[in-house]
Amino acid sequence: MKNTLSQVALVVSKIRGEHVQMFFAVLALATLVLGVGAPSDGGGATGR
Amino acid sequence: MILLSAVALGLLAGWGWSRWRRRPYGPPELKSVWLVPAAFLPQLLAAYLPPTHQFLPSEAARAALPLSLAVFLVFVWLNRGLPGMPILMIGLVLNLLVIAANGGWMPISPATAGNLPGGSDAQQAALGSRFGQKDVLLLPEDTRLEFLSDRFLLPGWLHYATAFSLGDVFIAVGAFWLLARPRAAQNSKVE
Repeated sequence: MKNTLSQVALVVSKIRGEHVQMFFAVLALATLVLGVGAPSDGGGATGR
Repeated sequence: MILLSAVALGLLAGWGWSRWRRRPYGPPELKSVWLVPAAFLPQLLAAYLPPTHQFLPSEAARAALPLSLAVFLVFVWLNRGLPGMPILMIGLVLNLLVIAANGGWMPISPATAGNLPGGSDAQQAALGSRFGQKDVLLLPEDTRLEFLSDRFLLPGWLHYATAFSLGDVFIAVGAFWLLARPRAAQNSKVE
Protein backbone atom coordinates (compact mmCIF):
# COMPACT_ATOMS: atom_id res chain seq x y z
CA MET A 1 0.00 0.00 0.00
CA LYS A 2 2.75 2.40 1.05
CA ASN A 3 4.73 1.35 -2.01
CA THR A 4 1.75 2.05 -4.29
CA LEU A 5 1.22 5.47 -2.75
CA SER A 6 4.85 6.38 -3.22
CA GLN A 7 4.65 5.28 -6.88
CA VAL A 8 1.56 7.47 -7.37
CA ALA A 9 3.37 10.37 -5.71
CA LEU A 10 6.34 9.84 -8.04
CA VAL A 11 4.12 9.90 -11.14
CA VAL A 12 2.25 12.99 -9.92
CA SER A 13 5.54 14.79 -9.21
CA LYS A 14 6.53 14.29 -12.85
CA ILE A 15 3.38 16.04 -14.12
CA ARG A 16 4.35 19.57 -15.02
CA GLY A 17 2.33 22.64 -15.83
CA GLU A 18 2.93 22.14 -19.55
CA HIS A 19 1.39 18.67 -19.37
CA VAL A 20 -1.76 20.02 -17.73
CA GLN A 21 -1.88 22.85 -20.28
CA MET A 22 -1.44 20.33 -23.11
CA PHE A 23 -4.20 18.10 -21.72
CA PHE A 24 -6.74 20.94 -21.53
CA ALA A 25 -5.75 22.33 -24.95
CA VAL A 26 -6.26 18.93 -26.61
CA LEU A 27 -9.50 18.38 -24.68
CA ALA A 28 -10.76 21.80 -25.82
CA LEU A 29 -9.80 21.10 -29.44
CA ALA A 30 -11.41 17.66 -29.39
CA THR A 31 -14.61 19.22 -28.04
CA LEU A 32 -14.36 21.98 -30.64
CA VAL A 33 -14.10 19.61 -33.63
CA LEU A 34 -16.83 17.36 -32.24
CA GLY A 35 -19.00 20.42 -31.77
CA VAL A 36 -18.49 22.17 -35.08
CA GLY A 37 -18.22 19.04 -37.25
CA ALA A 38 -21.27 17.08 -38.30
CA PRO A 39 -20.17 13.77 -39.76
CA SER A 40 -22.60 10.88 -39.37
CA ASP A 41 -21.45 7.45 -38.25
CA GLY A 42 -25.01 6.16 -38.43
CA GLY A 43 -27.20 5.24 -35.51
CA GLY A 44 -30.53 5.04 -37.29
CA ALA A 45 -33.54 7.28 -37.61
CA THR A 46 -35.14 8.50 -34.41
CA GLY A 47 -38.44 9.52 -35.91
CA ARG A 48 -38.44 13.22 -35.20
CA MET B 1 -14.46 9.69 -35.23
CA ILE B 2 -12.83 11.05 -38.40
CA LEU B 3 -12.50 14.48 -36.76
CA LEU B 4 -10.94 13.03 -33.61
CA SER B 5 -8.55 11.14 -35.89
CA ALA B 6 -7.49 14.48 -37.38
CA VAL B 7 -6.78 15.80 -33.86
CA ALA B 8 -4.79 12.67 -32.96
CA LEU B 9 -2.82 12.75 -36.22
CA GLY B 10 -2.10 16.47 -35.84
CA LEU B 11 -0.86 15.92 -32.31
CA LEU B 12 1.34 13.05 -33.46
CA ALA B 13 2.71 15.01 -36.43
CA GLY B 14 3.43 18.10 -34.29
CA TRP B 15 5.10 16.08 -31.58
CA GLY B 16 7.14 14.08 -34.12
CA TRP B 17 8.23 17.23 -35.96
CA SER B 18 9.31 18.86 -32.71
CA ARG B 19 11.25 15.77 -31.65
CA TRP B 20 12.98 15.64 -35.02
CA ARG B 21 13.99 19.27 -34.71
CA ARG B 22 14.88 18.76 -31.03
CA ARG B 23 12.59 21.48 -29.85
CA PRO B 24 9.89 21.32 -27.17
CA TYR B 25 6.34 20.80 -28.37
CA GLY B 26 3.79 23.23 -27.02
CA PRO B 27 0.02 23.20 -27.39
CA PRO B 28 -1.72 26.14 -29.10
CA GLU B 29 -2.45 29.00 -26.71
CA LEU B 30 -6.22 29.22 -26.87
CA LYS B 31 -8.08 32.33 -25.71
CA SER B 32 -11.45 32.22 -23.90
CA VAL B 33 -11.44 28.42 -23.59
CA TRP B 34 -14.52 28.62 -21.35
CA LEU B 35 -16.53 29.31 -24.51
CA VAL B 36 -15.93 25.71 -25.68
CA PRO B 37 -17.97 23.91 -23.00
CA ALA B 38 -20.51 26.74 -23.08
CA ALA B 39 -20.92 26.29 -26.84
CA PHE B 40 -21.08 22.50 -26.62
CA LEU B 41 -23.79 22.46 -23.93
CA PRO B 42 -26.83 23.16 -26.19
CA GLN B 43 -25.96 20.37 -28.61
CA LEU B 44 -25.04 18.04 -25.77
CA LEU B 45 -28.61 18.43 -24.51
CA ALA B 46 -30.24 18.30 -27.95
CA ALA B 47 -28.16 15.68 -29.73
CA TYR B 48 -26.04 13.55 -27.43
CA LEU B 49 -27.71 12.94 -24.05
CA PRO B 50 -30.48 10.34 -24.63
CA PRO B 51 -32.98 11.69 -22.03
CA THR B 52 -32.87 15.28 -23.26
CA HIS B 53 -32.43 14.15 -26.90
CA GLN B 54 -35.80 12.38 -26.67
CA PHE B 55 -37.81 14.84 -24.60
CA LEU B 56 -36.52 18.29 -25.58
CA PRO B 57 -39.26 20.23 -27.41
CA SER B 58 -38.79 20.08 -31.16
CA GLU B 59 -38.36 23.85 -31.57
CA ALA B 60 -35.74 24.02 -28.83
CA ALA B 61 -33.87 21.05 -30.33
CA ARG B 62 -33.86 22.66 -33.79
CA ALA B 63 -32.41 25.88 -32.37
CA ALA B 64 -29.76 24.14 -30.28
CA LEU B 65 -27.30 23.23 -33.01
CA PRO B 66 -27.24 26.63 -34.82
CA LEU B 67 -26.95 28.38 -31.43
CA SER B 68 -24.09 26.09 -30.45
CA LEU B 69 -22.26 26.70 -33.73
CA ALA B 70 -22.73 30.45 -33.40
CA VAL B 71 -21.00 30.42 -29.97
CA PHE B 72 -18.25 28.19 -31.38
CA LEU B 73 -17.83 30.75 -34.17
CA VAL B 74 -17.17 33.46 -31.57
CA PHE B 75 -14.49 31.25 -29.99
CA VAL B 76 -12.87 30.48 -33.34
CA TRP B 77 -12.96 34.17 -34.31
CA LEU B 78 -11.21 35.12 -31.05
CA ASN B 79 -8.51 32.55 -31.87
CA ARG B 80 -8.28 33.28 -35.59
CA GLY B 81 -4.61 34.22 -35.31
CA LEU B 82 -3.60 30.61 -34.61
CA PRO B 83 -2.37 28.52 -37.54
CA GLY B 84 -5.14 26.34 -38.95
CA MET B 85 -7.93 28.27 -37.23
CA PRO B 86 -8.98 30.22 -40.38
CA ILE B 87 -9.34 26.88 -42.25
CA LEU B 88 -11.39 25.48 -39.37
CA MET B 89 -13.51 28.65 -39.39
CA ILE B 90 -14.36 28.14 -43.09
CA GLY B 91 -15.58 24.62 -42.27
CA LEU B 92 -17.61 25.87 -39.34
CA VAL B 93 -19.29 28.56 -41.45
CA LEU B 94 -20.09 26.05 -44.24
CA ASN B 95 -21.69 23.64 -41.74
CA LEU B 96 -23.56 26.47 -40.02
CA LEU B 97 -24.94 27.70 -43.36
CA VAL B 98 -26.31 24.32 -44.45
CA ILE B 99 -27.65 23.50 -40.97
CA ALA B 100 -29.40 26.86 -40.63
CA ALA B 101 -30.82 26.57 -44.17
CA ASN B 102 -32.34 23.16 -43.43
CA GLY B 103 -34.20 23.66 -40.18
CA GLY B 104 -31.42 23.26 -37.64
CA TRP B 105 -29.96 19.83 -38.52
CA MET B 106 -27.36 18.60 -41.00
CA PRO B 107 -29.18 17.11 -44.01
CA ILE B 108 -28.34 13.63 -45.26
CA SER B 109 -30.09 11.76 -48.06
CA PRO B 110 -31.76 8.41 -47.34
CA ALA B 111 -29.48 6.83 -49.98
CA THR B 112 -26.32 8.04 -48.21
CA ALA B 113 -27.71 7.14 -44.78
CA GLY B 114 -28.46 3.64 -46.08
CA ASN B 115 -24.71 3.03 -46.40
CA LEU B 116 -24.11 3.67 -42.70
CA PRO B 117 -24.43 1.34 -39.70
CA GLY B 118 -28.02 1.44 -38.47
CA GLY B 119 -29.09 3.11 -41.68
CA SER B 120 -30.67 0.09 -43.34
CA ASP B 121 -34.15 1.35 -42.44
CA ALA B 122 -33.35 4.92 -43.54
CA GLN B 123 -34.88 4.28 -46.97
CA GLN B 124 -38.24 3.58 -45.29
CA ALA B 125 -37.95 6.23 -42.55
CA ALA B 126 -40.07 9.35 -42.90
CA LEU B 127 -38.39 12.26 -44.60
CA GLY B 128 -37.59 14.91 -42.02
CA SER B 129 -36.75 12.27 -39.38
CA ARG B 130 -33.67 12.75 -37.25
CA PHE B 131 -30.81 10.43 -38.14
CA GLY B 132 -27.88 9.76 -35.82
CA GLN B 133 -26.93 12.69 -33.60
CA LYS B 134 -27.05 15.79 -35.80
CA ASP B 135 -28.56 14.72 -39.11
CA VAL B 136 -31.99 14.89 -40.67
CA LEU B 137 -33.17 12.72 -43.57
CA LEU B 138 -33.97 14.84 -46.62
CA LEU B 139 -34.10 14.12 -50.34
CA PRO B 140 -31.31 15.90 -52.26
CA GLU B 141 -33.87 17.84 -54.32
CA ASP B 142 -35.50 19.11 -51.10
CA THR B 143 -32.19 20.09 -49.50
CA ARG B 144 -30.99 23.67 -49.54
CA LEU B 145 -27.24 24.02 -50.23
CA GLU B 146 -27.16 20.28 -50.91
CA PHE B 147 -23.49 20.42 -51.90
CA LEU B 148 -22.68 21.31 -48.26
CA SER B 149 -24.65 18.41 -46.73
CA ASP B 150 -23.36 15.07 -45.42
CA ARG B 151 -22.99 13.66 -48.94
CA PHE B 152 -19.51 12.14 -48.97
CA LEU B 153 -18.60 8.63 -47.82
CA LEU B 154 -15.19 7.28 -46.87
CA PRO B 155 -13.75 4.80 -49.41
CA GLY B 156 -14.77 1.21 -48.81
CA TRP B 157 -11.20 -0.04 -48.30
CA LEU B 158 -11.06 1.89 -45.01
CA HIS B 159 -13.80 -0.43 -43.65
CA TYR B 160 -15.27 2.46 -41.67
CA ALA B 161 -18.57 3.85 -42.86
CA THR B 162 -19.15 7.52 -42.15
CA ALA B 163 -20.81 10.35 -44.06
CA PHE B 164 -19.29 13.81 -43.96
CA SER B 165 -19.68 17.26 -45.44
CA LEU B 166 -17.35 19.66 -47.23
CA GLY B 167 -17.28 21.70 -44.00
CA ASP B 168 -16.09 18.64 -42.08
CA VAL B 169 -13.12 18.36 -44.47
CA PHE B 170 -12.07 21.97 -43.74
CA ILE B 171 -12.53 21.36 -39.99
CA ALA B 172 -10.36 18.23 -40.09
CA VAL B 173 -7.61 19.99 -42.07
CA GLY B 174 -7.73 23.03 -39.77
CA ALA B 175 -7.58 20.93 -36.58
CA PHE B 176 -4.69 18.89 -38.00
CA TRP B 177 -2.72 21.99 -38.98
CA LEU B 178 -3.40 23.67 -35.64
CA LEU B 179 -1.69 20.83 -33.79
CA ALA B 180 0.83 19.74 -36.42
CA ARG B 181 2.54 23.10 -36.61
CA PRO B 182 4.84 23.14 -33.59
CA ARG B 183 4.30 26.46 -31.86
CA ALA B 184 7.26 25.98 -29.53
CA ALA B 185 9.60 25.68 -32.50
CA GLN B 186 8.93 29.36 -33.20
CA ASN B 187 8.29 30.88 -29.81
CA SER B 188 10.33 28.90 -27.30
CA LYS B 189 14.02 28.70 -26.80
CA VAL B 190 15.81 25.51 -27.75
CA GLU B 191 16.19 23.07 -24.85
